[in-house]
Amino acid sequence: MEAKLQVGFCSVCFHLSAEPVCDICRAPNRDSSTICVVSDSRDVIALEKTREYRGKYHVLGGLISPIDGIGPDQLNIHALQRRVSQQKIDEVILAISPTVEGETTTLFVGHLLKPFTRVTRIAFGLPMGGDLEYADELTLARALEGRRDLEFGSR
Amino acid sequence: MYLKTLHLRNFRNYPDQKVEFSAAKTILVGNNAQGKSNLLEAVELMSSLKSHRTSRDRDLILDGEAIAQITGHLRKEMGEVDLSMTLRQNGRRSVGLNGLNLRRQLDFLGTLNMVQFSSLDLDLVRGGPEQRRHWLDSLLVQLEPIYAYVLQQYNQILRQRNALLKGVQKSDLSRQNLFSSPESMSESESSSPSELALWDAQLAIAGSRVIRRRARVLQRLVPFAQSWHQAISGSTEALEIRYAPNVELVDDNPEALQKAFLDKIQQRAIVERHQGTTIVGPHRDEVEFTINNTPARQYGSQGQQRTLVLALKLAELKLIEEVIGESPLLLLDDVLAELDLSRQNQLLDAIQDRFQTLITTTHLGSFDAQWINSSQILEVKAGQLVRMV
Repeated sequence: MEAKLQVGFCSVCFHLSAEPVCDICRAPNRDSSTICVVSDSRDVIALEKTREYRGKYHVLGGLISPIDGIGPDQLNIHALQRRVSQQKIDEVILAISPTVEGETTTLFVGHLLKPFTRVTRIAFGLPMGGDLEYADELTLARALEGRRDLEFGSR
Repeated sequence: MYLKTLHLRNFRNYPDQKVEFSAAKTILVGNNAQGKSNLLEAVELMSSLKSHRTSRDRDLILDGEAIAQITGHLRKEMGEVDLSMTLRQNGRRSVGLNGLNLRRQLDFLGTLNMVQFSSLDLDLVRGGPEQRRHWLDSLLVQLEPIYAYVLQQYNQILRQRNALLKGVQKSDLSRQNLFSSPESMSESESSSPSELALWDAQLAIAGSRVIRRRARVLQRLVPFAQSWHQAISGSTEALEIRYAPNVELVDDNPEALQKAFLDKIQQRAIVERHQGTTIVGPHRDEVEFTINNTPARQYGSQGQQRTLVLALKLAELKLIEEVIGESPLLLLDDVLAELDLSRQNQLLDAIQDRFQTLITTTHLGSFDAQWINSSQILEVKAGQLVRMV
């Protein structure tokens, strides 16, 4: 109950936070030239669990959905545009689910930010341990779309 | 494929009923409202996850019960399959294959294949275009289960785009009322036009998938339908079936189709904005049937229309058999009595014992003797089955 009263939104990235600016935004050792855009605070928590990402976040607070009366103005999109246009941002990663609404939101934000910085989106494709043979054709098509050059690095 | 058993629990008016299918043909006989069609509906659900009679799962559950269950044992060429389905009052479903619960319902589709022929199908020729689209879509889901997802995506984009257009129309109207000058309504909201463009692009991509798949399935179905039609009508009539997509398909090139789609949206932009709804896309497709160069819809006699529907259904059986490599089930719901004896016999000759057939009827009187002799006959009475001798 107490937690519920205290928790608000970070004024920078709109992640859930008890402080005016959240832990992630304040962390000095995180890369502030990369912003990962997600629809919901739950996505931040999921991505943090991977421990793979060291940049900052931006939470949109939903997806564009005219049925629910949600347009770009109802989301934290203008704040994102300000962040990207006013700070030195090298890359914005769009990590939004590939649903109909997610796709529209991804395209909208992508168009908006393209003039300022490099915009990428996370790849969608086969689950780990999944067999090509059993993947459905749309998942395969998606995975093919998001293909990349083979790297022989130290990974 | 052969459905060996079916077990219904709290499904419609069946508290607990096991059925064992012991012949290639099973006739379910009984008065109206005893549960004959409910049994076929259970098979339909196992095949398509849909019922043509309702879209609410609570209608499928016996009054006063929380859940309904359908299980079936199916023999296929690659082995035996156990299918199970649980329906709940709140609409949440679970489906399973061989005792394993499936995470995605989509993976359940395509296990049991069937062709359904009910008295409602007799309106396929005469009825509205949405009936023909629905017929084509159901066939596509049987052949390419992923189409269920493709279509659902298209419909979702369509709903979203319609909601956006409605909103634009509303604000146009209120502005007109305020200033009463329609010229001043030009794009004042900065975000709204580009948002529409994004939905346009998505509509074109998803819509093109729907159009190409519909064109493809018809292309394969038509030769079968024509040859059956010739056989049934005694080669006196020439049947033509033409897919008339709302966005014209110029050779099978996805990029060209998407471009044509977007061009047409541009052309109709003012009308769409005025009407507040999407008027371009496969939700406005039509399938045209012509017999001897005359539209069957307006001019076909009732007999001609029946011959046509019968030919289509037999073509569906044949196409599914060819694509899947196994014979689908045939469900004849209250339709045989609607066919005259010669068409009944043609149907019998066509299916012989190659397709497992479930038939419902109110009385056996209108059946040819050879149907009755080779069938398992079950009587349906108030949600219970009784074997008849």
